[in-house]
Amino acid sequence: MHRALLSGLASIVLLVGPATAADAPPGASSCTGCHAPKKVADSVIPHINGRKAEDIVTFMREYRSGAWPSSVMGRIAKGFDDQQTQAIAAWFAAQPE
Amino acid sequence: MATRRHFLKFTVAAGLAPAVVSAQGKARVVVIGGGFGGATAARTLKALQPTLDVTLVEPNPIYTSCPFSNAVLANLREIDQQQFRYDGLKGAGVTVAQTSATAVDAEAKTVALADGNRLSYDRLVMSPGIDFNWGAIAGYDEAAAQKMPHAWKAGAQTVLLRRQLQAMEDGGLVVMSAPANPFRCPPGPYERASLIAYWLKIWKPKSKLLLLDAKDAFSKQRLFQNGWAELYPGMIEWVPLSQGGKVTSVDPATLTLTTEFGSHKAAVANVIPPQKAGAIAAQAGVADRTGWCPVEPVAFESTLRPNIHVLGDAAIMGGMPKSAFAANAQAKVCAAALVRLLAGEKPQEPILINTCYSLLAADYGISIAGVYRPDKGQLADVPGAGGVSPLVAVGGLRGQEALYASSWFHTIVAETFG
Repeated sequence: MHRALLSGLASIVLLVGPATAADAPPGASSCTGCHAPKKVADSVIPHINGRKAEDIVTFMREYRSGAWPSSVMGRIAKGFDDQQTQAIAAWFAAQPE
Repeated sequence: MATRRHFLKFTVAAGLAPAVVSAQGKARVVVIGGGFGGATAARTLKALQPTLDVTLVEPNPIYTSCPFSNAVLANLREIDQQQFRYDGLKGAGVTVAQTSATAVDAEAKTVALADGNRLSYDRLVMSPGIDFNWGAIAGYDEAAAQKMPHAWKAGAQTVLLRRQLQAMEDGGLVVMSAPANPFRCPPGPYERASLIAYWLKIWKPKSKLLLLDAKDAFSKQRLFQNGWAELYPGMIEWVPLSQGGKVTSVDPATLTLTTEFGSHKAAVANVIPPQKAGAIAAQAGVADRTGWCPVEPVAFESTLRPNIHVLGDAAIMGGMPKSAFAANAQAKVCAAALVRLLAGEKPQEPILINTCYSLLAADYGISIAGVYRPDKGQLADVPGAGGVSPLVAVGGLRGQEALYASSWFHTIVAETFG
């Protein structure tokens, strides 16, 4: 059974190709519903692709604590711990503007 | 663990079935429904894995967005600003089949189309949106909706309701009926009541709005009710279930809505009827007795049929509401999971966000947000996160949230259709 599984999987892998090596970390894909990849004329919501990871982390921490006022970001930042936030920040920092 | 077994079992079945691979050696994903869920799923799949063969099945050449359609009723927007084509998806390599899906064969893994063609798939994504439970309110059927529009699928119905409001005499009574949970866009009826009142206050200031509700509580309730008192004193009367709010029958000839407690004659009537998953879901066997579609919380695969993933309003997503933002977020998670599943890998455990703005006036917005993760087989709220706008707004927050609302709309339609 195990062997059948492996050979079945192997043939699919060959035909589909490898999954994207760097999946977005959990939570990151939701952000782009509001944060466009680049500056949008009709939007006051900042784009975050290519921003420095440490800046994103700092903002998220301050939103979470309430030190920086926000609309929804304080409520959203509370759903992510430091490690998750760091992963999301690093991922957006590496995305092209 | 049950989730993992579920995946492995289906992956094994897929791996051994020769039908998995088409002649070209590409894995095939069919997506049914070109709204915020389906269009995003198709697009994201192609972006993540360009070698995939992705077909979007959608009969309408133009999508009319429900988000912001309440602003059309209040003359703040025109219907064509709500409309989007599928050229962006075609440009991104998605095959768009402009026809309806008439039947899904989950065993044969095929989708029959109204144009006579049949598509084979390795994985099927269904994002069919909602259909109405015609007849749940006696007298309310498709013909009645021409007299008493639902306007809960945006387009001709939105335009009809706006025209009726504009033709109404000053002093006329607008009656709305809101359904019990669950339904598409939980704050939607209350945003609509707000924006109709916004428009009435300017153009027909002697008019009133009666909102008959089949429930005793609703989304962002205190924010809405405080806003109504502040912006439209005496104009909106909300009647909850316990005070006779549930509409049991209507008479379209006389524009009369009858509740358990009495009858109301309207000058303009907007009936938002009870809903269920789009009809193709039941045909495919992915809807349960509630009319909605149960799914597991990692890749949103149906718990009733393997290899079929259900997104958006049609699906039962635990704590996550039926919103465009949620459908778009689920679609991106599902697409990433499908790429992994088709490569024989296990999808990663997702975290999802929902954000939903509502307008009470052109420059007055409120919001609700939530963060969700899989827990005990469902998407559950991450404790301590999420919630609604503060009841006391400081520093022009309501105006800011109205701006964020329109910014969100520009971004999400660009990501979905752009």
